[in-house]
Amino acid sequence: MSPRVAILQFPGTWSERDFEHALSLVDAETEILWHTEVDLSGFDAAIVPGGFSYGDHVRAGAIARLSPAIAELKRFAAEGGPVLGSCNGFQILCEAGMLPGALIRNAALEYISDWVRVRVEDDGTPFTEGLKDAVLRMPIGHGEGCFVADPTALERIEQDGLVLFRYGDERGIATGDADPNGSVNNIAGLRNAAGNVVGLMPHPERCAEEILGGTDGLKMLESLVASVGDRSPLRIGSP
Amino acid sequence: MRFTATIHVRPKAEVRDPQGEAILGALGSLGLGVTSVRTGKEIVVTFDADDEAAARRATDTMGRELLANPVIEDFRVELGTA
Repeated sequence: MSPRVAILQFPGTWSERDFEHALSLVDAETEILWHTEVDLSGFDAAIVPGGFSYGDHVRAGAIARLSPAIAELKRFAAEGGPVLGSCNGFQILCEAGMLPGALIRNAALEYISDWVRVRVEDDGTPFTEGLKDAVLRMPIGHGEGCFVADPTALERIEQDGLVLFRYGDERGIATGDADPNGSVNNIAGLRNAAGNVVGLMPHPERCAEEILGGTDGLKMLESLVASVGDRSPLRIGSP
Repeated sequence: MRFTATIHVRPKAEVRDPQGEAILGALGSLGLGVTSVRTGKEIVVTFDADDEAAARRATDTMGRELLANPVIEDFRVELGTA
């Protein structure tokens, strides 16, 4: 049975169709939900795509956080539903307090559109099954991707193993040169303590086909489909 | 009563401020001995509240819920009557 995945859409979201297409490649059913009409009952996972929700005014993701969609997303996540936020979606998850820390203006103040490599630090999430220590090559496109947290929060993030993706070189080593935007400790993405909420600055949906320059993003979506299959009550008792 | 509040938002001292760093570099070229720059923003809001205490509660909520991100920013409020 193919999983049903909700894709949230705010004013200014721009990657919802890319996710829709990429998820079709792994035979997931998708539905794009306008942010005022989000009901996640019956869905197996929810995606918060990239873009410039509300024009990034106040701070990237700050206004989207006040949308009714976020209350529903928090309910869904509290019940263990898998949630993935990419780029602006990651910023929204941090603003909403669903992930720790925050994303500020890139250290060099430039918008960056490029390919990066990230090392996957943990396979205990629905989006990284079987990917521990894998080095994924994915595109980024953002002006506010510099991850920050105060020293106490950062220590807790590291101690609790919440860093899921770290910018690295070809071998996955987190060098200064590999960090495109000044993120502290090369942090490119996080998971929550329960592991079901994941956010990252790179765009897995934009590297799901060879024609787009890479397929590493597809691995994360394949992981989602596999993990939903594992946790579906319909599968219990079947061989 | 109608109030006007100016809400000043600044990155916390321990959080890096890339815009401040860029301005520091530029001011350095003027040779004025500038050693540190921190940036912020101010937001001016006009609103109605029953009294000053209610107005303070309102601006506190505005700051916490939207105008500042408590994870990385501090804010302070100057309150006046419109």
